[in-house]
Amino acid sequence: MLIPRRVKHRKQHHPKRTGMAKGGTELAFGEYGIQALTAAYVTNRQIEAARIAITRHIRRGGKVWINIYPDRPLTKKPAETRMGSGKGSPEWWVANVKPGRVMFELSFPNEKVAKEALLRASHKLPMKCRIVRREAGES
Amino acid sequence: MAAINIPAKSRTEFGKGASRRLRAESRVPAVVYGHGSEPVHLHVPGHELMMALKNSNALIELQVEGGDNQLVLPKAVQRDVLKGFLEHVDFLVVKRGEKVTVEAPIHVEGELASGPNLLEHVLNTLPIEAEATHIPESVTVSVEGLAAGDAVQAKDITLPEGVSLAIEGDDVVLQVVAAQAEEAPAEEAEEAAAEGEEAAEA
Repeated sequence: MLIPRRVKHRKQHHPKRTGMAKGGTELAFGEYGIQALTAAYVTNRQIEAARIAITRHIRRGGKVWINIYPDRPLTKKPAETRMGSGKGSPEWWVANVKPGRVMFELSFPNEKVAKEALLRASHKLPMKCRIVRREAGES
Repeated sequence: MAAINIPAKSRTEFGKGASRRLRAESRVPAVVYGHGSEPVHLHVPGHELMMALKNSNALIELQVEGGDNQLVLPKAVQRDVLKGFLEHVDFLVVKRGEKVTVEAPIHVEGELASGPNLLEHVLNTLPIEAEATHIPESVTVSVEGLAAGDAVQAKDITLPEGVSLAIEGDDVVLQVVAAQAEEAPAEEAEEAAAEGEEAAEA
């Protein structure tokens, strides 16, 4: 599971979810990818589940790239506690994903299998997604 | 490749409000610069420009209303990240016969050697130097029979006549890698997940 090894501050404010992705909106490595259509916090568990969904479907012969990293901690107060007494303890690690961001990339010789693998992975993610493929030749 | 004619009008008002009004009329704000000239702000019809930009490194002849025609190449294209419509285009002025450095898409042909081999694009486009009026649409690279560990260097690529490389010949363009190992058995994966959780709590 992806977790930062060392962080400067254990607890952070919630990341902003407004706006569109500024970069990472096109395929950089693979032939196919999953692009976010809405904003969401993607937890490290969801990233891992999506990765496993891809690798289990393609088995051998492909390569997977994960372009997002869960570097933002989200905190939670214990159940049935009164308000106050400081901020809760870190509970999740999330990647703040904005619309347009290509989160996973895949290279695989068979297009049908690659798209099915990415579709299965997209079902593990908390936002609307679409599968994109490399278009050659456009300026 | 022949130049594509696109009519253009000069812009008189600037800023996001004016640009948004232009986009609402299916026009695209653009800027033309190069050869030491002052930048010229224009707007062009969106659909015609979109069709022209479907070709890589499309040579465009802008027919500026009340001005001279200008031969240009798209230098930077800004698109909406989700819907893909054009938001703004930078055009670079070129002259006929002038050598320009552009990025040509790489077209791969042929089959890799049998086995768990995977083609990896180290470069998605190949920087080349060519005459502005004779820019190849793409560069074809054969990967027939390549196996894991093999690579295609820039100097190995056969370029059309009058075209030269704009990068070092030793630079790797494509490489063939061994496919990733199969997913670890479920038990091992669960153990790894448990270790990860402990690390986060620490």
